[in-house]
Amino acid sequence: MSAIYVHLPFCPYICPYCDFAKWPHRGSLAHDYFAALVDEIRREPAFAARTLYLGGGTPNTYGCARIADLKALLDAHFGPFSESSIELNPELVAAGDMDAYARAGFDRVSIGVQSFEPREIGTLGRRHTQSEVTRAVSAARQAGVRSVSIDLMFGVPGQTVQSWGRTLKSAVTLAPDHISAYGLTVEEGTPFWQWREKEPGVFPGDGLEADLYELAIDELGAAGYEHYEISNFARPGHRCAHNENYWANGEYRGFGVGAASYRNGVRWVQSRELGSYLQALRDGVQVPAQCEHLQSAAAAGEAVMLALRTADGVAFEAFAQRYGIDFLEFYRPVIRDMQRDGLLAVDGERARLTQRGRLLANDVCGAFVTFA
Amino acid sequence: MSTLRPDIHARQEVATHIRNFCIIAHIDHGKTTLSDRLLETTKTIELRDMEEQMLDAMDLERERGITIKAHPVTLNYRAKDGQTYQLNLIDTPGHVDFSYEVSRSLAACEGAILIIDAAQGIEAQTLANYHLALEHNLTIIPVLNKIDLPSADPERVMGEIEELLIIDRDDVILASAKNGIGIQDILEAIVARIPPPRGNREHLRALVFDAQFDAYRGVVSYVRIVDGELSPGTKYMSMAHERSYECTEVGVFSPQMRQIPKLEPGNVGYVIANIKSLGDIDVGDTITGTNHPAHVPLPGYRKVVPMVYCGLYPNEGVEYSDLRDALEKLKLNDSSLVYEPETSVALGFGFRCGFLGLLHMEIVQERLERNYDLDLIATSPSVVFRVTKSDGTVELIDNPSKLPASNYIQSIEEPYVKATIMTPPEYVGAIMEITQSRRGALSNMEYLHDGRVIMTYEMPLIEVIVEFFDILKSRTKGYASLDYELIGYREGELVKLEILLNAEPVDALSSIVAREKAAARGRALTEKLKELIPRQMFDVPIQAAIGGKIVARETVSAMRKNVLAKCYGGDITRKRKLLEKQKVGKERMKRVGRVDLPQEAFMAVLKLEE
Repeated sequence: MSAIYVHLPFCPYICPYCDFAKWPHRGSLAHDYFAALVDEIRREPAFAARTLYLGGGTPNTYGCARIADLKALLDAHFGPFSESSIELNPELVAAGDMDAYARAGFDRVSIGVQSFEPREIGTLGRRHTQSEVTRAVSAARQAGVRSVSIDLMFGVPGQTVQSWGRTLKSAVTLAPDHISAYGLTVEEGTPFWQWREKEPGVFPGDGLEADLYELAIDELGAAGYEHYEISNFARPGHRCAHNENYWANGEYRGFGVGAASYRNGVRWVQSRELGSYLQALRDGVQVPAQCEHLQSAAAAGEAVMLALRTADGVAFEAFAQRYGIDFLEFYRPVIRDMQRDGLLAVDGERARLTQRGRLLANDVCGAFVTFA
Repeated sequence: MSTLRPDIHARQEVATHIRNFCIIAHIDHGKTTLSDRLLETTKTIELRDMEEQMLDAMDLERERGITIKAHPVTLNYRAKDGQTYQLNLIDTPGHVDFSYEVSRSLAACEGAILIIDAAQGIEAQTLANYHLALEHNLTIIPVLNKIDLPSADPERVMGEIEELLIIDRDDVILASAKNGIGIQDILEAIVARIPPPRGNREHLRALVFDAQFDAYRGVVSYVRIVDGELSPGTKYMSMAHERSYECTEVGVFSPQMRQIPKLEPGNVGYVIANIKSLGDIDVGDTITGTNHPAHVPLPGYRKVVPMVYCGLYPNEGVEYSDLRDALEKLKLNDSSLVYEPETSVALGFGFRCGFLGLLHMEIVQERLERNYDLDLIATSPSVVFRVTKSDGTVELIDNPSKLPASNYIQSIEEPYVKATIMTPPEYVGAIMEITQSRRGALSNMEYLHDGRVIMTYEMPLIEVIVEFFDILKSRTKGYASLDYELIGYREGELVKLEILLNAEPVDALSSIVAREKAAARGRALTEKLKELIPRQMFDVPIQAAIGGKIVARETVSAMRKNVLAKCYGGDITRKRKLLEKQKVGKERMKRVGRVDLPQEAFMAVLKLEE
């Protein structure tokens, strides 16, 4: 078990595109949740993990003191970690916070920026200013955080190639170690979904999305960032080890409401209902979860789906060792079609998505998945 | 002309206590309800068994509210004169596709109950069935049904009956099959008005008006004995096929099959011999004794020829052999279904299937998909074109992609129908519009007293089978009724319209159309296909071509970006399932060349005006 994820689901406000398990911050509820979470962690038999990731929600809705307590508990239980990340909302980062996170042992911070264009920030329902972002990044630097990452978003209604270009420039100027550039995904059940039902024309088509994505790949590549996963770019030595574990189909344990875990081939996702999560911990019973155990070809197909997202792709030897499948032989017809269409590049050791393949990754990955 | 004219040289007998009749009506005028009521009143079926009887019928028939297969039944009725009569009710299929079967059922009767809905009045099929019954010299018992409906207008409909059917209103029985009104009168009228059957006992002649296949007993022929007798041990032959059999069992329907010692002149019942395939005995066939065969068969037999053809292909995941087996099994009980293997460049191995009409086609497809759980691709329906080639030889073309190149063609003929449409006057304009756009020529127009109009058209069959009925119904809010009959072949200015995807012709999408409409149809078809074909990883040009000349072009532009932005621990299962779902969608499509086509694309030609 190499990775620990902890879900902190509260936010100061809710963004209209967000599909995660999250709730607006309410003191007593956040307090109860924290207690339950500590309980859940304490119940787990201790083991040594390599990476830690605190995600949300907005983890820093909790003050840095609470976070430091939590970190100490996790260290004691699963540490020491070679990488400890925390997601931060820039406008909630107060003076001295970054030092506190660094002191608590976080060596990687991921700052939710999304855009440097005020109009797009507004469209996304976020409330930070550009100066808050700048302040957060420099505070992290001063605190000596080893890796600073920022999240950006493209495909936002109203976004143009020019405005996205400006955002990319601003990002590069800040010189973070890592940039995630996500295409906006409109998920069912979110206000954005309803918006798109009503005004589909406001949302960019896949043509513009492709242009925006390609611009990100070009600009960030030119600035020295390695495009190491579909949506992730890093300076040398700054890939996110925690996330790489997911794409390598490695094991992980997730704590908190809606968190997913993967162990011994079994993946389970805990209830996304806050009430039933809290109740289960109050009652001292297992958190209700949906569980699946993929077998042979289905498990291998899923591993291909994950591995192809990365620049390293599928390594044949390791793949054969782990899944007992000769990749080139087993998927021969699919590989042939994908190569012909210029979506997949194959050399003696690995298969990787081409640039075109990254744009159409669903078509490629979809061809490898087998029904569970 | 009586189809049952007895052999005048033999001694005639009259089966005084037998009446053979059928019920004819426009769809929904109450045929099934009246049949049920007659069964109930004569205690042929106990009330408590009624429900069961209904459930036993084929579910497709129930759902569509039509009778596909004819079921005879014998009712024993004690009349007011104190005598008991054997009334043989021969049910008739209720759709124009099965008009030949209808005619054979009528030929087995001496009389017909003609039901007319007291609210809707006379409709196109009422007229068609009535005239068919008159052709068979049947005694007609007119019944005005549903007289207790609030919307009933018996006075108006009586007027129509007098005007259109030339029937005296005093002969009309007022009834409500649903509420049991007039049932007794109908039964009495059957006894009093319909003549008893006559025949001799010497030369066996029996009309096969239907046949079913039973897995254990082989073919069960439904017969009406005209002359002679039939009992177990009788050696008989089919006059159409000239094959001999030995009868092993005869019986009647009451309503289940019940064995009796022998069938006599006038009887309606069943015959079982060792006949293994429905193809060995035809509806309309005459059975006669092998030792003393009759000189002439009963009139009216013809080989049933399919009117409508389409290709049926297994979709991905369906085995060709499963489709073949299912067709074989269906054919056992449906001799009018024909099929032969064909190969399509686009769809691979499948079958070209022939049907009596569009409904028959839909029924067969539905049975294949439902009862045999097959996922099928059907190409758009075609008729049989008669092509005279430059060398003078004539070829029948049931598959548009097989049409020879135009320089080898001297002329093409296509089947025409006489279509009778009855409509309230306000829809005359709409009907003219939709018939004109389908090359219909108005041959007659008649105004009735109640203001309704009978419009008679001559138009190509292909124009009728392609969505005509649905459009007629929707444009007239369901008020117009349609009946049609084949009137022969006529030469037409016809061309092959080809569809090319990615510059490759797709054989399964080609059609034969009128030259004057070809370009417009090509445009409509390419536009429709553009809607139906999902975006692929590359541009897909869709072209329509006539004789190699492109007349329309659309492009499905390539999908440029299709990627999930995030895939972390909590997303993995969900994202994989999403990809799986996309994959299922893709696999339901047919890959033609490099293009994934949804099944609907092959039926696009049917849905151009939706």
